[in-house]
Amino acid sequence: MLIMKNVSKVYQTEMVQTHALRDFDLEVKEGEFIAVTGPSGSGKTTFLNIAGMLEPYTSGEYMLDDVNVGGLSDNQRADLRNQKIGFIFQGFNLIPDLNLYENVEVPLRYRGIKAAERKKRIESCLEQVGLGSRAKHLPQQLSGGQQQRVAIARALAGEPRFLLADEPTGNLDSLMARQVMELLEQINRDGATIVMVTHDPELARRAPRNIQIVDGQVADLTLYQGVTGQTDRQVVGG
Amino acid sequence: MLEIKPIINALRRSKVGAILLLIQIAITTAIVSNAAFIIQDRMTYLQQETGYPEQDIFSITVMTYGKDRDLSQQFEEDEAILRNLPGVVDAALSNAVPLSGSGSASGMGLKPAPEPGRNVRAGYLFADDHMLNTLGVKLKEGRNFAPDEVIVTQDPGKVPNVAIVSSTFVQEAYPDGDGLGKLMYMGDKPFKIIGIVDKMKGPWLKDDRPDNVVIFPYIKAETYQHIIVRTEPGQRAAVMQTVEDKLLAAYDKRVFTNVITLDENKRQYNASDTLMLRMLMVLIVVLVAITALGIFGLTLFNISKRTRQIGTRRALGARKSDIIRYFLVENTLICSGGLIIGCTAAVLMGQQLLQRFSLPALEFQYVAGTAIMVLVMTLVAVIFPARRAAQISPSVATRSI
Repeated sequence: MLIMKNVSKVYQTEMVQTHALRDFDLEVKEGEFIAVTGPSGSGKTTFLNIAGMLEPYTSGEYMLDDVNVGGLSDNQRADLRNQKIGFIFQGFNLIPDLNLYENVEVPLRYRGIKAAERKKRIESCLEQVGLGSRAKHLPQQLSGGQQQRVAIARALAGEPRFLLADEPTGNLDSLMARQVMELLEQINRDGATIVMVTHDPELARRAPRNIQIVDGQVADLTLYQGVTGQTDRQVVGG
Repeated sequence: MLEIKPIINALRRSKVGAILLLIQIAITTAIVSNAAFIIQDRMTYLQQETGYPEQDIFSITVMTYGKDRDLSQQFEEDEAILRNLPGVVDAALSNAVPLSGSGSASGMGLKPAPEPGRNVRAGYLFADDHMLNTLGVKLKEGRNFAPDEVIVTQDPGKVPNVAIVSSTFVQEAYPDGDGLGKLMYMGDKPFKIIGIVDKMKGPWLKDDRPDNVVIFPYIKAETYQHIIVRTEPGQRAAVMQTVEDKLLAAYDKRVFTNVITLDENKRQYNASDTLMLRMLMVLIVVLVAITALGIFGLTLFNISKRTRQIGTRRALGARKSDIIRYFLVENTLICSGGLIIGCTAAVLMGQQLLQRFSLPALEFQYVAGTAIMVLVMTLVAVIFPARRAAQISPSVATRSI
């Protein structure tokens, strides 16, 4: 459902060219749960941004659900993001002036879903993350873990083809991180495809498939094994 | 998709900036609508038709100190000199200059004093049979003074017995019929109305009855006198340059204190109104500019405060047009609240101005027009920052700082 071939991303300033991704190849199949790891500055976030169509790539080819992303206009990319992708951000990115119900409602409004259908989905998703009774609360009235669960509910409400999670437990303590991870695993078991960027090796190990990005490329298998000591993980080489 | 409900909810939860802006819009609407109305009222006043060819008329003020001449004869001679100058249409002596803010007024009785009866206030001029032609006004009914009806004297006991009046005066004095030929009284002295002038103004445009004018055929030969002169179109400046020398050549024991055009006389009389008009215009421009800048600044501030939020909305599927629409709707909601309060305040302010300063009642179209103008101005002020917000990349959502 997600295929990247030779995707490169170059940030150009007057003085410097920075290659954030180089000839990046990846295929993600329906129902997978992939953890993307790598050191700081390796290109994890750039990969996530390109996969989520949050920024354009410089060269290569990116197919999302058989749609060639490179040929889309800004509006078409916004619509495709809204319909196909659910985002979970490290900082939760909930809108502080909106209550939980209204936060979850945001992507549904952009899709033009009718109020009755929105209500049904929002209530269902908030129930799914265990916050059905707190729909009228504001984000700042919740703990970090609860806020991330609201963000997950928001990502799920649009019934996306896959979820992109950017360090979803990065701002949480270990207990809350475990709860959020269990929720993601449950969502994956329910059929959602998840790509999760994380710097936490513990968290990555829980994902059925890992890839590591180093210097903008998917790292070599042997190097990865040497670093982690893991052999029972599926590592996809570029 | 206008997102009205969530925007209202968000504004209720974060209301300080919105309330400040709302108050600013309300104050602007209340003040600008009243100021615009006052400006329009003053413009109408300043541009009113006086009935005189103002561009062709000037006046001279004469102060005679010589004692060796009969002033009555001297004034007759002066008038003749002026009327014979090239470019002059006519000239006439007068006790006052119309539109100058200086003159005389009295209540003209319909019954002789002390009989009880109605009085009609009117400004009056003492002048001769050349006055109508000099002022360029036309008789609507009746006739001009005959030369033998004009009394030139220094004896206060001698008074004329006829008068020419303005049509506005006649309509007020005799609302049920024709005033021509009727008698009116100044004190117990009767004056027969022999002519009615179509349109003319008295000395004070700000008088509550500026169009009520009476002309008596009477020249009081005093040391202080005005002479009004009308020239051919375009000749006034040239005549004004020579007139003083010509009159001094005839008799030099006198000074000419003021040689001034009628339009300049009117301008000086209305200087305070013109100043107020300009100040109100500046006030409107400043207020509107401050409000526009306030909205512009607040929107920019909101955008910088909400950069992450805007990026997140874009990541969640908002198009650029959705972001622009969000800010426009938010601004329109705040503006609508401000306009409702502002329009109410404008009407209340108008009522106070009416009661306290006797200004005319504020007309609703000024309030409605101002409200529309303020709404358009706020939308224009918000569109640039909103477009800037729409340019925020959705990748902002994943940045850690």
